Amino acid sequence: MKIKGFLNDVGGASRVTKARLEAFETASSVPVKNDPIGDVAKEWHPGMLELVVTDIRDASPTAKTVRFERCDGKKLPPFYAGQFISLAFSMDGRTVCRPYSISSAPYEARLDRGFAEITVRRSKGDGYIADYINTELKPGDRVMGSMGLGQFYYEPLRDAHHILALAGGVGITPFASMAKEIAHGTLDAELTILYGSVSSDDIILKKELEALECDKVHVVHVLSGDEPDWQGERGFITADLIKKYSKDDTSYFICGPQAMYRFLREEIKKVGAPARRIRFEVFGQAKDISVFPGYPAEKKDETYTITVMRGRQEDRIPARACESIVTACERAGIILLTDCRSGECGFCRTKVISGDYYVNPENDGRRAQDKASGYVHACAAYPLSDMTIKIPIV
Amino acid sequence: MSFYKEHYDVIVIGGALAGLSSALMLADKGKDVLVLERHNLPGGIATSFVRGGIEIEATLHEMMSIGPKGNRLKVGKFLEDMGVDIDWLKVPEAYHASLPGLEVTLHPGFEKFASEVNEAVPGTYDKVLGLLNLCHTVFDSVNELSIHHMGKAKMLIKHEAFVKTAGYSAQEVIDSFGLPQKAVDLMAPYWIYVGSSLKELPFTIYAVLMADYIGYGSYIPRNFSHEMSLKMAERAEEMGVQIEYRQHVEKILVKDGRVYGVRTERGDEIHSDYVISAAYPNKVYTSMIEPLSEVPANAIKMVNGRRLSLTAFSVVMILDKTADELNIRDYSCFRGDTMDTSKLYDELSGLGPYHYITAICHNRCNPDVTPEGTCSLSITTLPRVDGWKKVTADEYDSVKHRIAGELIDYMSAYYGLNLRDHILEIVIETPVTVSHYTGMWNGCIYGYSHSMKDHIVARLQTADKEKFIEGLEFAGAHQISGNGMGPAVTNGRKAAKNVLDDMKRKEEAGK
Repeated sequence: MKIKGFLNDVGGASRVTKARLEAFETASSVPVKNDPIGDVAKEWHPGMLELVVTDIRDASPTAKTVRFERCDGKKLPPFYAGQFISLAFSMDGRTVCRPYSISSAPYEARLDRGFAEITVRRSKGDGYIADYINTELKPGDRVMGSMGLGQFYYEPLRDAHHILALAGGVGITPFASMAKEIAHGTLDAELTILYGSVSSDDIILKKELEALECDKVHVVHVLSGDEPDWQGERGFITADLIKKYSKDDTSYFICGPQAMYRFLREEIKKVGAPARRIRFEVFGQAKDISVFPGYPAEKKDETYTITVMRGRQEDRIPARACESIVTACERAGIILLTDCRSGECGFCRTKVISGDYYVNPENDGRRAQDKASGYVHACAAYPLSDMTIKIPIV
Repeated sequence: MSFYKEHYDVIVIGGALAGLSSALMLADKGKDVLVLERHNLPGGIATSFVRGGIEIEATLHEMMSIGPKGNRLKVGKFLEDMGVDIDWLKVPEAYHASLPGLEVTLHPGFEKFASEVNEAVPGTYDKVLGLLNLCHTVFDSVNELSIHHMGKAKMLIKHEAFVKTAGYSAQEVIDSFGLPQKAVDLMAPYWIYVGSSLKELPFTIYAVLMADYIGYGSYIPRNFSHEMSLKMAERAEEMGVQIEYRQHVEKILVKDGRVYGVRTERGDEIHSDYVISAAYPNKVYTSMIEPLSEVPANAIKMVNGRRLSLTAFSVVMILDKTADELNIRDYSCFRGDTMDTSKLYDELSGLGPYHYITAICHNRCNPDVTPEGTCSLSITTLPRVDGWKKVTADEYDSVKHRIAGELIDYMSAYYGLNLRDHILEIVIETPVTVSHYTGMWNGCIYGYSHSMKDHIVARLQTADKEKFIEGLEFAGAHQISGNGMGPAVTNGRKAAKNVLDDMKRKEEAGK
């Protein structure tokens, strides 16, 4: 065979080898450490940051807004309005994570001495971190946090320009962030917030929201309680009310307590919007897992032993059937970091080596092969027997 | 008890396909292996994610070197030999080419492919088949020569085509067939999967690419590339490999020119006489070796003398209608405004608009991969890292959204509808995303460019002179076989073989 001529053809391998060695010989011997694309990745996703509380103020008679800044004085990472921060609190030798929607705006994080704020309502007895934030946390306290998390944000390529936010209680926080970003002119969208509260006293961030009203931001309060002087909308956020504030093309963003989700899942169907226009924020950890379909309620009071492997180390910890594997680890002082705590993000992905477990079907965001090979997202998985699991070394 | 053993035979940095292949092969030979992976799951970019309850493939378009059951090619066979049982689905076509004046769907199988080209460009059958047969001859030689060393004279006799084409670019060899330009264009779309224009691309690489893909077709795992990654990791663990996730290796410890261990970000110092690094040589030689005084000047010259190849930008979507309803007919479609690969390659150094796009509809190979009434579509361009190096953190989001919009509109025009009206879920993957999840140097997924100055034949010839630190091997797209998931496995095996050979030499010297 012949391509260009015998000598040229057979000399090819030597030719290309020589060319390659020449390229090395003539190259610079000065090390080039620059990885600017990696630098952008680190600026957007720096991982766990050490944060300091710089301000705490009332957001309603029962809720507080807490402001954080970075301890190292650098800018906080960019994020999308609607995303959350996962805070890791260390107390009594335990590390406990909680996700909170960021109630401040992305542009505020990028200012000099930029900040991020969360707004947390005092709980009714089932959230000791919420109580800790409301009663004990003080300016100057330090906490670890990872931010710019979650998928609950306006995506211009996908969503309608008009967003109708359906908020309940403390579920207003992601919309407060969106409202601020829109009013500031750094997010090009139009936002109407239908905000359900029991009474006007329950309204969180009331003044902040009022101050943001403009041609692109509208807040409509809906009170379900009996308040004779109330001039605004009353009752629950029903399909009729949703239709009243919809435009020809509207994306619905829904965030609120779990009971409201159940109600709105039905109401939103009656509105008749296509599925791509409806977005729910993640559900959060189930308050009472025993009522979920398929959960063996007779086991809910059992306590099992989980053998937790980290590298070659093994620890045996007690685990209640009614609490997630993450909660068991946190109680036992074993660090198992979480982000969403709703089974969605997979940050707490855990290998189950043996044992039975239940996965909350509403919070099952696992990959098909993970399901088949026995991996769980530990925040949404509950022990139903003694188990052995393997988690990352922290 | 501590988290790690005192000492391992081999530490592998990175639990993606290359690193896991190294680990499998070493464990198969009874070696004690530790894999440290920075993410919380294996696979690197060979993975999937879930959005809105729907699982979505992150990157895999099609795997080469798998081959049908009973007649597996080298990657398919290696995985089977290692006991990694993957449910492979055969991709129905090679690709649909949508080029100026050409709308042609081509299928694997040399005769079929040649007759389909002939139908579009009459009178080309024999030449197309001749070119494909030449590709196959070279492909066979590459496979044999990667196992057996051979003297020059013997090589010329036994591997004449390989030897005689080694010094030429793909363009030069294709030109010698005298095919009309349209037929050449129909045989060029895969250039993007090796990341160099036909004028720069060694024919050897083109030959392997065409023989493998067109000769045997391509495959995907039923449960996304995560199936492959996870099954490899699980099998490695079964064979005794210790894999630790979310462990970021910061330093490779070297003394007197020889590796003795690694240190993680967490501060664990772990000892081993061998380290296989998936981290790029650029990163290893400029910031990971401790102390840096152990890095010889020639190592720096080598990395500076090579050109980083391509990274990836994908818009991955779940659409709210079926593929039929949206006129998406093919699994893989290459759409270009031109098939002048030199021009297209130049365009890739910028930030768009890009005019050569790959669109993959997963459902056309795996129909039930998304919920009923929906389909998935990923639209990809593979830019060079150069343009993306200039994007700042504050500009990043607007650049990302602009380019994503351009890609969506480019394919919308092809399907004759507005894809923006059908987006149920959308994820935009960029070089920054790649860097975030994998730490790959400058988000580069393709390693170093295949070119006439960095030719695979030359890489093979000089490999021994490019070992600068004893006990340190590399496994990843930056190694001899280059980019792609199939080559990743081959690169990983090569690194393991180098370690095993060195162990054997030491053992024999000790006797």
